[in-house]
Amino acid sequence: MIKKADIALFLIILIFGIIISFVSLFGNSEGDKVKIAVDGQLFGVYDINTDQTIEVEQNNHINHITIKDGMVSMSYSDCANQVCVHSEAISMTKDSIVCLPNKVMIEIIAENQGGDVDVISG
Amino acid sequence: MSSQDKKNSYALRTKRLALSAILAALAMILSYIEALIPMPVPVPGIKLGLANLIVIIAIYKLGFKYAFTINCVRILTAGLLFTGVFGVIYSFAGGVLSIVVMYLLYRTDLFSMVGISMAGGVAHNLGQIITACFIMSNIRLMGYFPVLLFAGMISGILIGIVAWLVYGRLPHLKV
Repeated sequence: MIKKADIALFLIILIFGIIISFVSLFGNSEGDKVKIAVDGQLFGVYDINTDQTIEVEQNNHINHITIKDGMVSMSYSDCANQVCVHSEAISMTKDSIVCLPNKVMIEIIAENQGGDVDVISG
Repeated sequence: MSSQDKKNSYALRTKRLALSAILAALAMILSYIEALIPMPVPVPGIKLGLANLIVIIAIYKLGFKYAFTINCVRILTAGLLFTGVFGVIYSFAGGVLSIVVMYLLYRTDLFSMVGISMAGGVAHNLGQIITACFIMSNIRLMGYFPVLLFAGMISGILIGIVAWLVYGRLPHLKV
């Protein structure tokens, strides 16, 4: 049933997966700004150390983003699947919370490394 | 071609058509069942891929053209019924990439159903995340890929084992 090529393919994908896991974990650091984008467009940048709730209202969709004690979470969304609301609170620069149905994306950025973030989000 | 051969060829095509229709209906129902199963992880895109079972069996039984069509019919019908237009775009990207990868691996004749299904699962998730990057115009979504890669591997292997078990028990229709 299982052939040698299967095992080879399994190992290749496994090693590839481990490598990209390390790459994506590498360079994760505490951020200081919260960036919210809607449909790829910048909605606003907020300070992560100021506790607040931001209401994102667009195209008849509403999302509430809560910043509390340096952690950011999606506290409310009117989307159907609620994946974003169940996502854990984030604080690291590699983390993000995405609400695909409403096209809302929250990212953490570090001010002093802001240069490349602007390029990527373009 | 004698009239007898012609008759056989028509009968064969009708058989294939009927089998394709059954498989497409089965794939759609499996998509529905899958939509009913809640996934205990907060990452979008992680799922069992039950419909992939049908796609693999179709590749083995009927070949690429039939399998591809069955998959497209399944994505369109199940997508519009259960997940909405956006769901169709994501499923389509994942479905097309995964079926192409699976067929190419099948053609090499080196892999078993389990290996093919595993690669298909990973390819499906890769296709979906690339589409998500385009739709959200944000490359940072690729950060989810390691998780989706392992998830695709595990579900692909499980589905591959089930497909292998089912295929062995199917009546050996001449199609």
